[in-house]
Amino acid sequence: MNQDNKNSTLSADEIALYDRQIRLWGMAAQARMRHAKVLLINLGSIGTEITKNIVLSGIGSLTILDDHEVEENNLGTQFFLDSESVGKLRLDVTQARIKDLNPRVKLEFDTANFKNKDEKYFKQFDLVIGTELTTNEIFYINSITRNFNIPLYVCGSNGLFAYIFVDLIKFESVDEKLKGTRPTEVGKSSNNKEIVDVVMYTDEDDDKKIYEKIKTVHNYKMFRDVLATATLKGKLNRRQLKRISSAVPLTFAALNIAKDTCEISLSQLQETLEKATDQLGVPIENVNKDYIQQFSNQLGVEFAPVAAVIGGAVSQDLINILGKRTSPINNFIIFDGTTLDMPIFEF
Amino acid sequence: MGRHANVIKIVGEENFQKIRTSKILLIGAGGIGSELLKDLILISFGEIHLVDLDTIDLSNLNRQFLFRHNDIKKAKSDTAIKAVSHFSDSKLVSFFGNIMNTEQFPIHWFSNYDIIFNALDNLPARRYVNKISQFLGMPLMESGTSGFDGYIQPIIPSLTECFDCTKKETPKTFPVCTIRSTPNQPIHCIVWAKNFLFNQLFTNQQTENSDNEKSDGSEKDWGTTDEKEIERIKQETSELVDLQNIVIENNPNKIINILEKLFINDIEKLLLIENLWTNTNLNNKKPTPISRKIINQMTTKKDEQDPPIFKQLDKTWSIDEQILKFIKITQTLMNRLQTEKSIEFDKDDNDTLEFVVTAANIRSYIFGIQMKSIFDSKQLAGNIIPAIATTNAIIAGLSSLSSLRVLNLLKYAELKDGKFTDLNMAFTSKASNFSQDRYLTNPKLATPSCKCSVCSMVVRGILKVSTEKLKTLKLIDLITLLSKTYGYTLSISVIDTKDQRLLADFDFDDLYEKSLHDLQISDGSILFISDEEDENDMVRKSMELYIDVDKDSTATNLIELPKIDVPLITVVTEASKEDITKPEITKLTTSGDEAIVILDDTEEPHHVDNKRPISESDDKNDSVHKKVKKVADDDDDVIELD
Repeated sequence: MNQDNKNSTLSADEIALYDRQIRLWGMAAQARMRHAKVLLINLGSIGTEITKNIVLSGIGSLTILDDHEVEENNLGTQFFLDSESVGKLRLDVTQARIKDLNPRVKLEFDTANFKNKDEKYFKQFDLVIGTELTTNEIFYINSITRNFNIPLYVCGSNGLFAYIFVDLIKFESVDEKLKGTRPTEVGKSSNNKEIVDVVMYTDEDDDKKIYEKIKTVHNYKMFRDVLATATLKGKLNRRQLKRISSAVPLTFAALNIAKDTCEISLSQLQETLEKATDQLGVPIENVNKDYIQQFSNQLGVEFAPVAAVIGGAVSQDLINILGKRTSPINNFIIFDGTTLDMPIFEF
Repeated sequence: MGRHANVIKIVGEENFQKIRTSKILLIGAGGIGSELLKDLILISFGEIHLVDLDTIDLSNLNRQFLFRHNDIKKAKSDTAIKAVSHFSDSKLVSFFGNIMNTEQFPIHWFSNYDIIFNALDNLPARRYVNKISQFLGMPLMESGTSGFDGYIQPIIPSLTECFDCTKKETPKTFPVCTIRSTPNQPIHCIVWAKNFLFNQLFTNQQTENSDNEKSDGSEKDWGTTDEKEIERIKQETSELVDLQNIVIENNPNKIINILEKLFINDIEKLLLIENLWTNTNLNNKKPTPISRKIINQMTTKKDEQDPPIFKQLDKTWSIDEQILKFIKITQTLMNRLQTEKSIEFDKDDNDTLEFVVTAANIRSYIFGIQMKSIFDSKQLAGNIIPAIATTNAIIAGLSSLSSLRVLNLLKYAELKDGKFTDLNMAFTSKASNFSQDRYLTNPKLATPSCKCSVCSMVVRGILKVSTEKLKTLKLIDLITLLSKTYGYTLSISVIDTKDQRLLADFDFDDLYEKSLHDLQISDGSILFISDEEDENDMVRKSMELYIDVDKDSTATNLIELPKIDVPLITVVTEASKEDITKPEITKLTTSGDEAIVILDDTEEPHHVDNKRPISESDDKNDSVHKKVKKVADDDDDVIELD
């Protein structure tokens, strides 16, 4: 992060503007956010939502990389566009509206393709968000973020279904919560998490309330490894497996084929689905037939309400890690827009 | 690929046509409302009508993305509609007004829509719209957020739980004696400074002697039975009148008297009430009066320039600084009072805020309670609920997604046999610290609670009547009509729910010959009808009748009773009878920001226990319990005295 004036306090104007959120995450977190430099790759429907959320919240600087031209169907999913935008570069037509959201945020718009950027280019960022990426593109950006030790969020949607992948490499979080009947114990708490310290303290206004301050170390995996090894075997019992949304194996199946493109045929999807269910340990007969048809029809389709949910979740999580409060997502979310099911998997 | 190509792929061509002809009512253009408006437009609903009573404030801009700095003070609904025009392909209409205003929004106006979206910030309006949805049988998408927490609940009248089927957190109150004599938390001192001191000094008291004795001579509730303490409170109140006079006189040299009385004399008197401090069960902490020396010192500094710390609103000032600020701000308010005559406390009026905060902090200091910064105190004094863009975006996204299933418009997720209990509600789970392995919890919708006084214990209907008929229809005519049509006895009781006015019952027939108009029944009135049980312990179900006055009707004699069946039911238990004979009608409070209504702590874990696909240990559910409680405690503080 930018080292100069890192500890400077917020101005009275900023406190007034950000009042309702400072009451939630505090002045220190707000000040830390102001010094963060974030890169967003692609400004599609989810990218639009993320941009809106983090610019409003007062992130320090946001760079958007996008080389796409506006297609007519984008008008139905991306609210920075208007009917005049079709055929023009997305960034050219959305800039003014994004700047207008919050003049305090430093914005950069770059119409280059991220794959044409020199690797060193990425070094300047505190955090990278990739949207609308093919599997090969995710592999590529993930190797760069690992090289430079930069936290990465990747998300995408297929109609009513969507996923979020998070790679923070290694992250230490502090959560505060009311003490339960059993105190939290130090040690490995789940697949990717280890609790390293628990401190108890009493509420300053109410001495009957005892809280725990829990320090957790989160380990993350690269996208490539997650795709190759993700499984639910041994983690869920049969009943729980039965309740897993069919969107879970279908999302993995799609990510496994979509190496360079979003164009996938139904038969291709069905083939890889078998492999995906096998690896995940989800019995193939649990996969809903209607879902396969639906998923195949909706591959790569953007939908505004789904983008709002996914963009909201990603923005919230990155604000949390920049503000250094509460545990981040670790490490995979799959959203089913028909049932509103949104489990977090530790793959 | 046209602009609607994506939506069509998801809902199918046929359903898309239905979407284009649907008419949506969106109530609220704040945090959730702005987001919902965007989502509903992008789904491409044909018509969206937006209602809001509020204007734009600076503190909205961190999340209400349709508003800019130069929109401050403009009406939200209209500004929002203008701000979305560049991406909208829907017909948009804005209304500036309170949704509970029956003149502007009569019930037949609501009936024009296909579905209602609540994006409200207060309980009374939520309850009101819920009732309207029940009267009309119209689906309602209910939602709310508070900080990281949020929920959505689709409500399909008579088929799924209504908003009032689960108990809601009600405003918090404090015992009077805690506020007046034995505070032990910062909030107690703020309530004292705001509701008691500030009002006494600066707000015109219409009921000046209400604090001494009620006009009917009955005993006032002093919050204690301790004679000595009552005596002290009485004297204290009369002395307050002296303080009022100082303020009215606008004599800056007497501000020192206010300080001495509030922070020395009154405290010394309190100390004389020994059982307050010696009774170990009470465990009250003894207060220490402020020293005269500090008060004198600070008084001499009152005309000097402000120390720089007065600009630091997030820092807790020292006791000396609190006293100095108190003196200065009292002077400011006294000056203002000369022209304004009466000043109301307003969290955004800095003078009133600083007075309340410094007075509260001085009192806190006296009682050994931690003092708070202006920033922190503002939240307590102003009932501010934290609000962020991300939670609102997520909740609005879920609400609009879910509405597609309520309207049965999802091609691949069709509702089977109208089974709405297959649909899901949702609330934030990870962000609310309930769970580490679910971002949302999404229990299926429950059937209506059989004990709910809003949706299950009564039948509802709309009585259509012309203006002329309202003037000629006598109460007894109505009673006869109800008895003939629905099988009620003639000894039914009729209550006007607006003010709980009893109009008739088995031994009260004085008003029988009055017309409904004479009884001040008008458009939007809701009558509550209930009957006596018969010899077989059966009773005709109670009814709520919404009076819909058709002003344009040419038929002067128009009267149209709802076509509903009112069944006989076995007599209900005493406890639940309580509930239904006192239907709750609430008045609007234009309170601040988006409020959440967290289901009360016995309800929520019930969902979590039974419906959560990946079960957790009891231990975790226990902390869910406590967390729900904590959230409710933190965010729903409405400070009410007496």
